[in-house]
Amino acid sequence: QVTVLYFARSAELAGLRSESVSVPQRITSVQLWEEIVKIHPRLAVIQDQVVFAVRQEYVLLGDQLLVLQTGDEVAIIPPISGG
Amino acid sequence: MDESEDVPKDFIKLKSENLSVHEVSELVISPNCGAVSLFIGTTRNNFEGKKVIRLEYEAYTSMAEMEIKKICREVRQKWPSVKHIAVYHRLGVVPITEASVIIAVSSPHRAESLEAVMYCINTLKAFVPIWKKEIYEDEYSWKENKECFWANSEK
Repeated sequence: QVTVLYFARSAELAGLRSESVSVPQRITSVQLWEEIVKIHPRLAVIQDQVVFAVRQEYVLLGDQLLVLQTGDEVAIIPPISGG
Repeated sequence: MDESEDVPKDFIKLKSENLSVHEVSELVISPNCGAVSLFIGTTRNNFEGKKVIRLEYEAYTSMAEMEIKKICREVRQKWPSVKHIAVYHRLGVVPITEASVIIAVSSPHRAESLEAVMYCINTLKAFVPIWKKEIYEDEYSWKENKECFWANSEK
C-alpha cells in the first residue's frame, strides 16, 4: 500500500490529490504507471511527459526496479514550471 | 554580533503571502560580504498574444524544499566563498507584476554571488517540483519549463 500523490495536470485528470494504492513490493516504474492508469485512464494522455518521485527521488518511467514499502510516497510529476 | 554566529545559512521558504525583496535581501546580508546579488521572478501579463489574468502556483512542498536544499549545497561546492543563500517561492495565486520567486546570495566579492544566483534560478527551473498555471481570459494552461530535466527525454 503506497500513497500516490497527484499534482498539477495529473491531479485534474485523476480528479484527486492523493490516495492509497495497492501494488506489488517489487515493480518497475513503467509497471507502476500502468497500475495507476488502470485506476485513472484519463492519465494516459500525459504518459510521455511525466516522471515519478518515489520517496522524494525522481524516477523516470522505464525498467527501473522499485522496491516499495507500505506508506511510501509515490508522486506523479508532470513537467515542472517553477521560478 | 559574535563572529561565530555568522555561519553560512540557507533560507528556504515556500509561502502563499506576498514576497518582500527587502525581507529576503536582509536575510543574506553579512558583515564580511561586500556583495548581495538578487534575482526576482515577476509575473508577466501576456503569453503568445493572450492576456494573462493571473498565475497560480502549486508545489510538492516537502520535496521542493529538499531539492532547493540540494541546489544550495551545489552552490557552496561550486562557489565556496558564498555566505548566505535565500530562496523564497510564492505559492497559490500570484497577481500580475508581483514576485513569484526571490533568490538572494551574499559573498565577499561580486562574481561569486552573481554566478550563484544565476545557477540557482536555472537549476530551480530544471529540478524543483513546482508548477505554474497561467489563467487567460477564457482558458488556462499548465506551463512547462524548457529547462525541465526530463523534457524530451521520454518522447
